[in-house]
Amino acid sequence: MEGKKVKKVIVIAMLISILLLSLTGIVFAQKSQLQTVLDRGYLIVGTGSANVPWHFMDEKNELVGFDIDMARILAIGLFGDPTKVKFVEQSPDARIPNLLTDKVDIVIQFMTVNSSRAQLVCFSIPYYVEGTGLILPAGGKYKNYEEMVAAKDRGEKITIAVLQNVDAAERVQQALEGAVDAQYENQGLVYQAINSGRADAGAVDLSSIMWLASREPEKYLDAGFAFWPMNYACAMRPNDQVWINFVNSIFMEAMCGEQYKLYNDAYAKWFGVELSEPKIGKPAIYR
Amino acid sequence: MVYYFSFRVIQNNIGDMLNGLGLGLFIAVISLFFGIILGLIAAFAAVSSNRALNNIATWYTAFFRNTPLLVLIFIVYFGLPSVGIMMGRNVSFIFTLSFYAGAYMTEVFRAGLQAIPKGIIEAGQAIGLSRFNIRRYIQLPIMFRYVLPSMSNYLISLFKDTSLAASITVPELTYFARKLNVETFRVFEAWLTAAFLYVVTCYLIAYLLRKLERKLRIE
Repeated sequence: MEGKKVKKVIVIAMLISILLLSLTGIVFAQKSQLQTVLDRGYLIVGTGSANVPWHFMDEKNELVGFDIDMARILAIGLFGDPTKVKFVEQSPDARIPNLLTDKVDIVIQFMTVNSSRAQLVCFSIPYYVEGTGLILPAGGKYKNYEEMVAAKDRGEKITIAVLQNVDAAERVQQALEGAVDAQYENQGLVYQAINSGRADAGAVDLSSIMWLASREPEKYLDAGFAFWPMNYACAMRPNDQVWINFVNSIFMEAMCGEQYKLYNDAYAKWFGVELSEPKIGKPAIYR
Repeated sequence: MVYYFSFRVIQNNIGDMLNGLGLGLFIAVISLFFGIILGLIAAFAAVSSNRALNNIATWYTAFFRNTPLLVLIFIVYFGLPSVGIMMGRNVSFIFTLSFYAGAYMTEVFRAGLQAIPKGIIEAGQAIGLSRFNIRRYIQLPIMFRYVLPSMSNYLISLFKDTSLAASITVPELTYFARKLNVETFRVFEAWLTAAFLYVVTCYLIAYLLRKLERKLRIE
């Protein structure tokens, strides 16, 4: 009789332990990245350091750019302090691996939203619509896009340097059918290919072309042709809706809500365009 | 964190990867060929009694052996066009790798030449052979047998160095592995397949060259 009682107590104790353990598990599983970041006291952002005007080193050797400002907007939303960010510099092909292996909380690195990436990570709402343009060397063979088309029609071989990426070859064909694509592993090499005459033109982000052509007109020209609209958004690990919702809320407020000045100031600083303030009444996204 | 392997992307792109492997092997063999020629010239210069030739050989080997290969590749590929010398990407890479290989071969050949017993050369002189014929019929055949194991190892090393050609868009194996990686984000599948192909090829090269070494071994 006594033995039966002991067995009963053991079974009940085991059941309670299992229940407690599973509850603890649920609590652990539910801990969002938002809480992890708040507990840590600063945000870890994966980004690059060699692409103007998105993320690059200024003359003081500090990381600046539009992506960097978006990270600071997020830090203000988290801690009320734009300096509470640690940047992890990474190459474009490390964006998803670094995120999935927990090295960064979020990737803010001019990341194009596409379906194959969306199968691996969760994207925030877009914070910029980029286009691809053609950049030419100032002393090169061609002065604008029309000259390139005419040369192609004459049967000349035209090489376009491009960052190795999904759809890189297709993008070059869309820019100029029949052109040869030269795919480089980073944007810096794309510019080196243009500078050294290895490529006749480069297919790069329109925002970068606008930045370079305005600051170094003796070196680069905008061919005057833009195509391929694409959304830039932040990437986060999947299965953490709390964190994703938080980032989206902060970005939404910065782009068309209470914090619009933060986004507008960054936009004017890096793209040279003054945006109007959001209108009172119906939310901007439903107009 | 769970990673789900899917080798379907490799199945769809294995043709490109094998073509890239073939190109890498071709580049390594061609570069070794030119490297041997350059190495022979520099090795004879290094052991000659002419001081100017000695210095040229020393500077050549010092520069190419102490500069990282990737830096040399960028100097030739991006630097030379700005002084009017433009080569295609494959030619540019073979040119760089040949000079790089030549610098290492110089040291290998120099050691091989110095290992030949003096008595054999004196025997050649005794029967009236000219300096050129002593080199052609005595020094070179003996030296090649001495240095064959080092040359075999170096061919394998050169083959692995061809992976750096991806940085200037030469479509060899690493180029396709990286392309696959950025296009599909199948990190492990792309790089593990590339590693597997490199290992198997290097192992095969080593096996064939060991057989050749055994055949030509000086007893």
